[in-house]
Amino acid sequence: MKTRIVFGSIVMMLVLAITANASGKGEIQKYFSDAASKVKAADNASEKRIILNESFHNMSKALDMVQSSPLISKDDRAGINRFKTALQEKQDELSGRNGYVRVSDEQLNAFSDYVVQDMEQAEAVITIGIVTLLLIIILIVLMVK
Amino acid sequence: MMLFVSICCGALTLFLSSCGTSYSVQYETQRVEDTLTVEYSIICIIHGDGDYLYHDTSGHEFKADEEALSKAERIAQQNPRAEIFIFHQKPRRHFLFFFPLHDGEVYYYRNGRLSANELYWRDQEQSRFDPEMGLYRRFRTNNQYKAVRLFLYYGHEIPEYGGAGYDESCPDRTFTVQDLAGGIKGFTSDSVRFDLIVLSTCFNGTPYTINILAPYTRTIIASPDNLHLSYFDLLLFERLDLSLRDGDVPAFAKRLALQAFNRLTRDIQTAVSVVVYDMDRVQGYLNSINSVYTNRMAILNGQASELVEHCDCAEEPEYVQPWMSEGVDVFYRPARFGRSKHKQNHSGWECWREKRPQRATSQTAEPVPK
Repeated sequence: MKTRIVFGSIVMMLVLAITANASGKGEIQKYFSDAASKVKAADNASEKRIILNESFHNMSKALDMVQSSPLISKDDRAGINRFKTALQEKQDELSGRNGYVRVSDEQLNAFSDYVVQDMEQAEAVITIGIVTLLLIIILIVLMVK
Repeated sequence: MMLFVSICCGALTLFLSSCGTSYSVQYETQRVEDTLTVEYSIICIIHGDGDYLYHDTSGHEFKADEEALSKAERIAQQNPRAEIFIFHQKPRRHFLFFFPLHDGEVYYYRNGRLSANELYWRDQEQSRFDPEMGLYRRFRTNNQYKAVRLFLYYGHEIPEYGGAGYDESCPDRTFTVQDLAGGIKGFTSDSVRFDLIVLSTCFNGTPYTINILAPYTRTIIASPDNLHLSYFDLLLFERLDLSLRDGDVPAFAKRLALQAFNRLTRDIQTAVSVVVYDMDRVQGYLNSINSVYTNRMAILNGQASELVEHCDCAEEPEYVQPWMSEGVDVFYRPARFGRSKHKQNHSGWECWREKRPQRATSQTAEPVPK
């Protein structure tokens, strides 16, 4: 019995370490990259807009839920705020709100690449801790499924 | 029980094999190679202890440091008259949570062949390249009469102050541009300046960074704005005996910058900026704004990071001088989307300022570029 417990604990620790390593920032970037691939594969502009809007909406919702949790640190809360601002800017540009000219139908594929590349460079994502990022990812996965 | 013991033994074997002072050490003291004069000496530092994941436009995933490493190795293999040090700075990891693993790896190529490959320990508190310098002194050849000296750095934006958290796996270790300059000074201590420094990082085309590196190089290529993690294209480095045949490094730097700019603008939708700084010619501008910049930074440095932002120095009147474009060759294209998409020019110098509210109506009258 003891052997099983020790062995199980080692396996559990390894799995946790691998998960923490593989997830986090990379998963958030993958989320937007997957959305961009779907946008490019979509047949028409309205479908592309729906995919982009949904990806922004789901991410915003996950960020709101995580932010409202009492477990989140002050620094992570600030990081989430910056992330949300960056996301809102993109939603505004896609829809032509808040002073933005609406992204034209012909530019939607390029815009989806812009979102991926800008998010990869965004300092906001970089400053969110691993536990908070994992929470965001879990929520996103649950929402998308 | 037997299974558990076997796993432990296997793990221990793996640990012991990975924790030696070096693995696959291939340092060959082949004197025959020394008969080939080293005409190009390159030091390449690749930072990989952070978030370096990026995706191309087809959705393929890449790790920027590993891509940079493979490109640097290709450069090393294709230059028969070069000596190339590649230092890969990796995250600090532990085997079974307790046993620390090496966080640095050096590849030393001479005359197109891998002569040494070792794991090493990086500086533990402040990163000033001391271990890298030790390895450099150990392996370098003395047979480099009048060699062209090049220094390449790949990584995230190198902070001007503070520097804690640059290494994700070791947030207490600090690294700033002063540390970079200190390290570069060490690499040049017995020789003349570098001919060219390439900073493949975001936002390091600042007056402070360029000024602090000025004593150690003749030319710098850097990006004053964001730089995508696919970094600068270094195809021209692959056959230096052809691309640098005339020995004209400033002209080579401009060709390199243009090629990097062309490749980046093809795939990247965010801003692209590649700037060549001629160190002798930019000194006048740097001297004229040095005290203003330092005072401003001292004030901004005390503020929370969300209250300050990068900006083109040309947008801040106190940094504008008639000679600010002297000695800089700027290749710039704004981001295709976002608030800055109509900014058509960049001075080549990036500064800091207090964050300003974004102008909500600044774009309504502008045409949408196709």
